Amino acid sequence: MVSAMTGPVAGAAPGPGMVGPDQAVVLAAGLAKSYGSTVALAGLDLQVAAGETVALLGPNGAGKSTAISLLLGLLSADRGEARVYGRSPSQAVADGLVGAMLQDASLMPGVRVGELLTMVRGLYPRPVSLADLVGLADLGPLLGRRVDRLSGGQAQRVRFATAIAGDPQLLVLDEPTAAMDVQARRGFWRQIRDFAGRGRTVLFATHYLQEADDAADRVVVIARGRKIADDPPAAIKARFGDRQVRFTLEAGSLALLATLAGVDAVEHDRARVTLHSHDTDATVSSLVSSGLGWSGLDVGGLDLETSFLRLVGESS
Amino acid sequence: MTGFLTLEMRRCTRDVRYLVIAVALPIGLYLLFAGLFGSHGQRAQGLPQPTELMVAMIAYGAMWAVFSATGPRIAQERAIGWTRQLRVTPLTPASAVSGKLVTALVVALPAMALVALTAATSHHVHLGAAQWAALLAAMWAGALPLALLGLAIGYLAGDDIAFPLTMALYFALGALGGLWVPLSVMPHLMQDIGQALPTNALAELGWRIAGGHGSVPAALLVLAAWTLGSGLIALLAYRRRGTRAAS
Repeated sequence: MVSAMTGPVAGAAPGPGMVGPDQAVVLAAGLAKSYGSTVALAGLDLQVAAGETVALLGPNGAGKSTAISLLLGLLSADRGEARVYGRSPSQAVADGLVGAMLQDASLMPGVRVGELLTMVRGLYPRPVSLADLVGLADLGPLLGRRVDRLSGGQAQRVRFATAIAGDPQLLVLDEPTAAMDVQARRGFWRQIRDFAGRGRTVLFATHYLQEADDAADRVVVIARGRKIADDPPAAIKARFGDRQVRFTLEAGSLALLATLAGVDAVEHDRARVTLHSHDTDATVSSLVSSGLGWSGLDVGGLDLETSFLRLVGESS
Repeated sequence: MTGFLTLEMRRCTRDVRYLVIAVALPIGLYLLFAGLFGSHGQRAQGLPQPTELMVAMIAYGAMWAVFSATGPRIAQERAIGWTRQLRVTPLTPASAVSGKLVTALVVALPAMALVALTAATSHHVHLGAAQWAALLAAMWAGALPLALLGLAIGYLAGDDIAFPLTMALYFALGALGGLWVPLSVMPHLMQDIGQALPTNALAELGWRIAGGHGSVPAALLVLAAWTLGSGLIALLAYRRRGTRAAS
């Protein structure tokens, strides 16, 4: 089936399946979508450049899946526009530029893994060879197995193989590791990195903060249908430059703690104290010279989880 | 598209429900009824018993073949998310739907041909080569409205009710359409209802060809009307589901 080309970008128009250089892979402007009176997306702007791995991070119900569905052409927006490789999302999908792993999407029942992957490869103009696919998705001896008789982890690997079978330029993943244990998750992100290492662009939705931190070059945080941050993981942490000094208070008054240098806030759980500080060096030296009795000192930065909760809190 | 079609067909022919209900059951019923009623009695249409029954069972097999390849299968694929996954491949939605339709019609052929083969070998049903070809071709084309009806069920019904609903339709259309008992022995009201059903029209087509009669405008009209009606419902149901596919 020949897909019709709808003049993608000005200048040298790339043919179906071809991609021009320096072209924004994903470009969303003011994307909005409501279901009845429920606002799922309230105007999302998003840009993803070629070769980037971008995380779409947010709590459940933030609008991540809606955004992904709009960018894949599975839904149409109420307002705003989405372009993928300069064309409509449906056209980009039809041209074989996109592969996707959707949330709660099972495989075709009643066939063998090899049959399924051969069929899916046949739908794309330039698919990955079956041998490469076995390596990339760690399929091992699964090709002869019936799709309905795979374990959860095996099914996940086959779903990943289905998504990359066409060697897509852009790989879109909607909460891909939701059903995986820690070890499977680690293996999965290794596969994604291998795939991204072939010069591919990856956009994934997750509510696992650690995942966004580990896997993404850039994190776009959305909450209640809006983008509330768009930075490298480190920048998200730096933006909330709060660091913490923790210790167990052995002797002395809790009331004194707020007077120590650099301290912005004091929390405690019985004798275990957490000081939020904008200058931990100063806080620690004044703690040492304060005459308070303490043990188990621990100085650290915020993890992404905490940054994220603060970001979400600020936006509401 | 070719790979998608062949895999769809392979899946359907591996389905136990297809093999048992579409292929084995019509053959079994044929052998049972033809054996019970003997080879020489005449039933409606003035056809010999074995020929009349053969046509009815061809229609019966064709009906389940196209139903099993569409209704319950499509409803299940929508429920488990395979339909959505397929939509993020280059296969266009129109190709996916027409692929289902073509698959349904193709897997109907062996179910139909095997009943004919059984009738010819076990009860010596003799037709001319052209007559055989015309009978199978006409009845095959006449299965189109049933396949469209299956598509409509697939896009309208939830996974939990698609199979029982398809089964109920299968029995109702078979019994009321005169595939079990000839319409002529039924009360007048039932005859009127039966003549408006696609199953009766499908069998009528076969009976007329087997009897060496000419065209059957009434049956063709009924089949055309069901094709239009089912096709329209299938299209509307597909459109409605299409916009919700990602919710």
